Parts: sequence; structure tokens; C-alpha cells
Amino acid sequence: MNRLSRLSSAIALAAMMATTAVPAFTAPAQAATLSGGFDVGPGGFQGNFNPLAATGGFTWLSVYFEPLVTYDEKLQKVTGVLASSYEVSPDQLTYTFKLTDAKWHDGKPFTAKDAKFTMELAKNAKTGSVLAARLSAVASVEAKDDKTLVIKLSGPSASLMDTLTKVMMLPEHALSQIAPDQIAKNSWWSTSPIGTGPFKFTKYVTDQYVELAANTDYRGGKPALERIINRYFANPAAAIAALRAGEIQFTYVDSNDLTAFKNNKDFRIIEGDSFVVNYLGFNHDSPIWKDIKVRQAVMYAINRDAIIQSLYGGAAKPANCAYVADQIVPKGIETYAYNPEKAKQLLKEAGWDQINGNKPITLLTYYTTPLAANVMAAVQAMLAQVGINVTPRAVDTPTYNSIVLNPTPDTAQFQMVYAGLQNGPDPGSINVGLNEKQIPPAGPNVARVRMPQLTAALDAALGETDAAKRDLRYQDVCKVMNSQLPWGPLWVANRYGIASSKLKNFVWTPAPGGGPYQAYPEKWAIAE
Amino acid sequence: MLARTPSRSPGPTARSLHRFLLNRAAVLGIGMIVPMVLLILSYPLWWSFRPNDIDLLAMNAGPTAKHWFGTDGVGRDIFARVMDGGRISLLVAIVSTVISAIIGFLVGAVSALAGRWADAVTMRFVDLVMTLPPVIFLLVLASIAGTGIWPTVLVISLLSWPLLARMVRSRLLELRERDFVMAARGMGAGLPHLLFRHGLPNSIDILVVFATLQIANAILLEAGLSFLGLGIAPPAASWGNMLNAARSTAVLEQYPWQWLFPGGALVLAVLAINFIGDGLRDAFDPRAELN
Amino acid sequence: MLSYSLRRLLIGVGMLLALSVLIFVLLRLTPGDPIDAYIDPNVPMSPSDLAELRVTLGLDQPLPLQYLAWLQQASMGNLGYSIQRPDQPVLGLVLSRVGPTVLLMGTAIAISIIAGIATGMISAVRRNSVADFSFSVLAVTGISSPPFLSALVGLYLFSVYFHWLPSGGMLTPGREFSVGDLLHHLILPAMLLAIAQTALIMRYMRASMLEVLNQDYVRTARSKGVYEFWVITKHALRNALLPVITLIGSTIGLAIGGAIFIESVFNWPGMGLLMVNAVENRDYPVIMGSTLVIGACVIAVNLLTDLAYAVVDPRIKVG
Repeated sequence: MNRLSRLSSAIALAAMMATTAVPAFTAPAQAATLSGGFDVGPGGFQGNFNPLAATGGFTWLSVYFEPLVTYDEKLQKVTGVLASSYEVSPDQLTYTFKLTDAKWHDGKPFTAKDAKFTMELAKNAKTGSVLAARLSAVASVEAKDDKTLVIKLSGPSASLMDTLTKVMMLPEHALSQIAPDQIAKNSWWSTSPIGTGPFKFTKYVTDQYVELAANTDYRGGKPALERIINRYFANPAAAIAALRAGEIQFTYVDSNDLTAFKNNKDFRIIEGDSFVVNYLGFNHDSPIWKDIKVRQAVMYAINRDAIIQSLYGGAAKPANCAYVADQIVPKGIETYAYNPEKAKQLLKEAGWDQINGNKPITLLTYYTTPLAANVMAAVQAMLAQVGINVTPRAVDTPTYNSIVLNPTPDTAQFQMVYAGLQNGPDPGSINVGLNEKQIPPAGPNVARVRMPQLTAALDAALGETDAAKRDLRYQDVCKVMNSQLPWGPLWVANRYGIASSKLKNFVWTPAPGGGPYQAYPEKWAIAE
Repeated sequence: MLARTPSRSPGPTARSLHRFLLNRAAVLGIGMIVPMVLLILSYPLWWSFRPNDIDLLAMNAGPTAKHWFGTDGVGRDIFARVMDGGRISLLVAIVSTVISAIIGFLVGAVSALAGRWADAVTMRFVDLVMTLPPVIFLLVLASIAGTGIWPTVLVISLLSWPLLARMVRSRLLELRERDFVMAARGMGAGLPHLLFRHGLPNSIDILVVFATLQIANAILLEAGLSFLGLGIAPPAASWGNMLNAARSTAVLEQYPWQWLFPGGALVLAVLAINFIGDGLRDAFDPRAELN
Repeated sequence: MLSYSLRRLLIGVGMLLALSVLIFVLLRLTPGDPIDAYIDPNVPMSPSDLAELRVTLGLDQPLPLQYLAWLQQASMGNLGYSIQRPDQPVLGLVLSRVGPTVLLMGTAIAISIIAGIATGMISAVRRNSVADFSFSVLAVTGISSPPFLSALVGLYLFSVYFHWLPSGGMLTPGREFSVGDLLHHLILPAMLLAIAQTALIMRYMRASMLEVLNQDYVRTARSKGVYEFWVITKHALRNALLPVITLIGSTIGLAIGGAIFIESVFNWPGMGLLMVNAVENRDYPVIMGSTLVIGACVIAVNLLTDLAYAVVDPRIKVG
């Protein structure tokens, strides 16, 4: 090729690229499409499409699946979704649900037969259901008629409604042909799932994004949006880059990334309670924490207010037991105000030099965010001030779980942990972390807490059938935690999301595991 | 006739040194790395802040007269952390290079000098290690080893020795056929004698060049590992894990000093070492004098 | 020749076997298994809920049995299902990632070859000029910077600040596939990946070109009155390219290494990202499967190159 033809073909190539690139410069998606990072952050579960096996990601699953009941946006009350009403028998053993008129995405009607089928799948551990153990109290499920479901329990269970919010209804006509132990492996979930929600599944591009289209026949009305896209991101930072580049309209955001959005009128900051209490777990298998004075010293040595103000920007509530909700925290409990002198005094009284002295104590955690790294550094410095030498060690989740959930653990590897546990909306959620019966492998009581008084208080609270007395029972739990310090409770932080100002009627709350909660996706809209 | 003692011409080492000093880039490299190392080693003597002193009242502050490089998210002084990070990064790089050089030399030299059967087996083994996708090898090794200085040293050394083994082997292979080696063996010389008396001097130039360039590589590798969450974990400072802060766009644009300074230090160090390594390579190459 | 190829093939299969054993052992030494990766420590779920899953996945069997079970399936072509995404077969997953990785690396190599040769040539011809000096500085800085840092800075500049290029992914979600869209997403990661390779090629090209320009035949061409442009491109360039071509092969190694960071920062759906995610989640079948596929490719390429050398150069005796 001579020079001239080479040059002209180069120009032609450049021109062609420019013309194909120009449409890409305009708005990232057609009108009425919402793109977001719905599975970014701790509440998400990227790549999971099976609600039975979901330990998170309920925010996204709720856009196209629906449960019988769910929480309201504030995570306080349980409201009906596919169940229009429910009744509990006086002996608390029979729950009767009246179902609404709803249609599956393929047009078939939703009936009690589907509900019964789903409940049975959820109870069967062979399907990979993670709710099987929590539904063990369910003795039988009956479809009395097309619109009535009756659940009979073998014993009263205060947490049944909470568990039911996580059971997304599945179509019996689509799944009944598949053997229960093959259900998890089936490609139905990620290619053509059928739900009853306001949007229906279009496609999944592996590890990239999920696309849903509006369900125009939805019983709550035609959705305002035409499509919703859930984009996957490796970490919140990548999602924020996409948000600022205008490619998505919503994502979860770490609290220390808020500064870029604080005074920006293009974005709206959504704040919510994380319902996770962060704590320093004393490994009670290790002899160094035996003396309560040592544990109290740790509480007095840490300046929680300073950490909350500087590292969390004030967006956290100090916790003196596992709870911070007003109705569960009794008056008059010890607030462990920052007092390093008192801490040193307590350590001297306990004989810390003989117990452990300056030997390094491993502080294990699974939090790998920059915020957590800063918190650990601050905690290390504050404890070092009073003579407790901790060495923070952040590992990834599988490593952490393999160390702490091991039935015969190596105590030296985790004499102290920095962790978090869900403490709401159902206050009984923390039972698994503090009850002696929940020590691994039976449960996730990683701190190996063996305190009979606390176990008794927890059992009493969980078994309390009178709703009026329940708050009092949990106050007892709080009092015991505060005085005996099985953990060193720190705070309950807020979590944040950022939404574009163009999003209207967008409901989102940073619920643990993504909820679920009533978000009314059919009302979400984008203003131009 | 006057008897004149012939002036001694410079030996090969002296000539190499002379060639090295003529290379401007290499001298510049030395000029950059030596003050850096001195600074890094001596900073506790004249700098008042420690790398792990937190100060929640002075978080995310920009460079001032007090904190020359500013402070990070918990108020730690960045200058001290860059210095300390330099110590750790350089320590990891140098130690892992020494280890991989030793392993690489031994494997390559044994393979070349010990006999055909040993050669075949060893080279199959080296091929096997090189076939392993480095990504998986890296991630899995680092997950097993955990974070910290010695695990990182282990991971980096295990990753880098095969290349050296190959180079040493090809250099020494021709030695195997030479008369003096056969003579030595005929006289009953054992393998260690062959390795250290004949193998080592003949591959010293490869080793030196490899070691220098590998130090630069190891610094980059450690930074990469720390970026992925393996390598050196906070609160210990290393140039790599300080750069991890740049993941967040908030830090990237609003607190640039938190990553520009460790990044700049890293680039300068790697640059200088690359210059030196190139200079060494050219210095040891006898053909360079012909140009 | 035939017996040599057969022998190499057998050795190759043996190496794949040894590779799989090595990776299997290393994986089991890694703390935490797939179920540990599944449990979110913040959410109150007990390990007994998932003990059943362990049995289903066969993770409670003694190790040699687990390996043999995997081997038996793998030898029939069934690499199993991903644990993290139970409905995705491993082989399909791995193969679907090869394309994007090859695209990314191929584009990066192409860019680096063109840019590296061009800048190397200019540097050599205009030796010691401003252009030469600035190219050299850029080149050495390019080799010395950690690839993820340039990726983060580039991402911020071109995507977040200027809004010129997308912040990640391979295609715009929700849109029909178009080549323009693909190129739009490909440019930034490919260019950033190409930095280190361009620098290397540039330096070698410059050195090689300088050496060639000093040769007698170049001087002869000049004295015959040939236009300088043709001296450079027609006579010098071809000979200068020879050592550079051998270098290009080794830069592929650089590309593979840098690709994992670029893929991580840009969420590019390639092999690197797949393996990083799989190791994070201890997804044993995916890790074993991708190691096997990549190992097989590397062995195949080595064998083909050796055979090609033997065919091309009759001096090389094989066997």
C-alpha cells in the first residue's frame, strides 16, 4: 500500500470509530432505566439468585420476588405482601394467612399451593435452604383453599414472622418437577426465574449485571420505570466511581467516602441504622480475660466518643450492651465513660502483669475496609496506653470463619476479635452470639461465652410469649451484658447509600442482609 | 635498551566498573538511591513523629511545616510512614531477592553440572512451576501464608526463582562439556566443588544483574500484593498498602498527599534500581566497549 | 518427529496431572473452605445450618478421595459446577472468560507494539533531542510505576473527572452489543495495560535501531543518495526489528501479570478477575478448572513453538 492509501484508510478508520463512539457519549441508558449497585456493600450477595440460599442480597431479590410478609421501611413492623392478613391462634401454635390475588410473571395465579410448596422447600435442608433450622418449629403447612394457608407449629416461636419475611414465594408449577437436592444447581434461577414482583427477569450477564423489565400486569399498578439494572462491582469504591461518572443512579457507600457527596446537589445521601452492633469479643477460652476487672479496664480504656466523632463523623451510637434502641436499654446501666486512669487502676488490681503483661494479644477481624483498619489502629493505640498490647490482624472471611468456627480452635490465634452481629430488628438475633448452647459447631458463639446468668436471660427473652413483657426481658439481657461484659460492646454505626437527585420515590434502607423491607419498586421513577 | 616494566592493564572488574561509571543513568540511579536509603535508615534520629502514633484531632491534614507530608485517616504522620514503609518494602525486596537468587542459582547450577538425569528431572520441575498460572499461585500462596513481612518474603521468593534457574542453567550448560570440568571430575571433584569453584564465578554477572532488577520487581510485586489485600497489612506501613488508599475516589482527589508521596517514593526507588541494573548489565557486557 | 511430538504430548499430560495435584494440595492448605466463605459473620446463621451443604459438596471426605473424585470427572470433560454460583458449569464459565482476556491483552500488545516501535524509531533517529529525552523518561517511569496505581489515576482522570470513558465493565449494561460500545470500554484498560510493555519495546527498539544505523550498509545507502526516510524505513527498520520481535514474546508475560490488576480495577470480565474472585471465595472447582485450562494452553503453546522452531530451522534436532 502506498503512503496515500495508507493515510486515507487511517482517516477512514478513525472516522468510523468516532461515529460509533459518539452515541456512546450520550446518556448511558435509555430513559426510564434505573441502574444501581444493589448488591454493593455488606447487605448484598452478588451472583446469588436463589432466595432459599440467600444470606443477603434481599434488597434486589425483593424487586422481582415477594414473600408472604415483610418489614416496613423502618424495619419496625411486619406487614403483609402476598398475605393480605394473618391471625395467630391464642396458643400461638397456629398461624393462618389469607393470601391476596396475585399473578406470577408467566400469568398463572398465585395460590396457597405455591405457598405450601415454598414452605416445604425452605424447611428442607437438602435444597440448600439456609432457613431450614429456623423453621424447625414448623410442624405442618396446609393449603386450606386457594387463598388460605395454615402453618402449625410444634412450639411457640417468637421469631417465626421474622423468618417468614425471608421466605420468597416460588412457583410450584415451575419447580415441582425438579428433585429437591438438584434445585440449587438448576439454571432456572439465573436464566428464567418467575416471581410475583413488580419487575420480571430479563437476563443475567455473568458476573456483570442483571436486567429486569417492568411487569405491566403487576397488581400494585404499572411500574413507572421500564427497566432496572443491577450492576456488580468488586468493591464500593468502584461503584462510587461509576456513580460519579453518571453510569449508575444509586449505590451503597462507605461512611468515609461521603465527603465527596456532602454538598453536592446532584446526589442525595440516604442514612440508616445498620442494626449491627460492633464489639470486641473476649475469647473466654483464653485465661487472660477471666477477671472481670480486666474486661472492664478494656471498656474504660477506649475512648469510644472520640472514635465515633472522628472516624465515623458522629454517625454511630455508643452501645453499652448489645442494644441501643430506647425501649430495650434500661436506665442506669454503666456507661463506661473514657477513663484511662481507672483502667490502669483496674488492671493493677487484677494483677495484669502476672496475667499477661506486655505479651501481644491477637485482635482478629474480618473487616477489611479502610475505616475498620483505622478503627483497629485507634483501638490498638488506646489499649497500648494502659498497658494492653494488641496486634490487629485482618483476614478475609473464609480464613476468619475457619479459625473461629473450628470446634477445636487454636485460642492463641484469636484471643480477641473485632466483629459485628445483627441486633435487630428482632432483638433475639444476638442470641446466637452469646448463648452457651450456641458454641461452635452448634452455633456462631465465637467468643465462647459461657455465662449461666446471661444464657438464662436470653432463653427467657426468646421464649417469652407475651409481647408486652418481651421488652422487659430484653432489658434484663441488656443489664446482664452491661455488668458481666461477655463482650466489650462498642457502637452501632449508621450505614449510607447515595442516590442521584433524579430518582423519585426511591426507598432504600441499609438493612442487614439487605432486608427485606417494603420498598415499593413499582413507584420508583427517574425525573428528567 | 631500557627495561621497562609493562604497565599493568586494568583487569575485567576494573574495566566493568569504569564502564559503569561512564553510564550517566546508572550514576544518577546511585545518586537517587543512596540518599533515599540513608534517609530511610536514619529518620528516627531526627524526625519527631513515629509511624504508628495516631492523633484523632489531626486527621487528613495536608502537608504543613509540622507534618511535611500531611497525615492520614487516623492522624498518623505520612512522612514517618513513608520512611518506615520504605524500610519494610526494601527489606522485603532485598531478602526475597537473596532467597530467590540462592534457590535459582542452586537449581540451575545443579541442573547443569550434576548429570543428565538430574538435569531432566529438575527442568521438568521448573517447567511445572512455570506452567502454574502466576495469578493463582500468587493468590493461593498468599492466602496460605497470610499477611506480614515473612509470608510476603516467602511468596515473592517462590515466584521469582524459576527464571534465574533457567538463565544460570543455559550459561553453565556449555561449561559442562569443557575440558577443565571433565578434568576436575576425573580428579574426583564433587558437586559442591563444581558448583562453587566453577559454576559461581561463571554466573556471577547474571546473578548480579538479576538480583538488582529483581529487587525492583519485588518492590512492585509487594505493592501489588498489598493492593490486593495480601502482602503487608495495616497498621504496619508499606508503600504498597499506603497506595491502597487511592482506591477510594474521595482520597484520590481530596487527600492526594496520602498516596502521591508513597507512590512517588516507590517510583523513584524502582527507577533508580532499574537504572543501576541496566548500568550493571551494560558494564558486564564486553561487547559494549566496541561501540 | 512424530515420536518426539507424542513423547512431548505424554509429558504434557503428565505435567497437567502434576499441576492439578499441586494446586489441589495448595488449595487445601489455604485456611477456610467454600462454606466458610459463604457464612457472613454479621448475620446470625449457625454453622450447623450449612453442615449439610458440606456433606453435599463432598467436603467431609478424606482428601485423596476428593481429589480422585474430581479427577475422574475431569478426565471425562466434566469440570463440575462453581460452588459460589451453583448453576454455572466450570468449563463454560472459564471458556467464557478467555475471550475478554485475550481481547484485552491482544489490544494492549498491539498498542504497545505500534507505539513502542514508533517511539523507539523516533528516539533513535532524533537521538538526544527533546523528543528522545522525554520518551526515555516516560518509558522508564512507565516500567517503574505499579500498574494498579496508573490504573486508578487513569480511571479517575478519564472517567470520573472528564467523563470521557466508562468506569468499568466490558459493555454498557442494558444495551445491544455494538463494536463501538466495546471499543469505548476497551480503550482505557488496554492503554493502561500497554504502558509497561510499550516502555520496554521502546527501549529495545531504540537500542537496536541505533546499532543498525551505525552499520556499513546504512552508510552506503545514504551515500548513494537514497532519501533519508527510505533509509530509515526500508533498510534500517527491518533489521532493527529482529531482536525486538523476540522481545515481544516475553512481554506477553508482563501482560498476564499486569492484567490481573487492570481487570480488578476496571471490573473487566476476564480470567484474572475470575481467579481472584474464586480464590477469595475458595471456589475449589473454578480454581482447579481454570488452572487446568490455562496449564493446558501454556503446555500446548510451548509444544507448538518448539515444533515450529524444529520445522523452520533444520539445524535443530529434535528427539
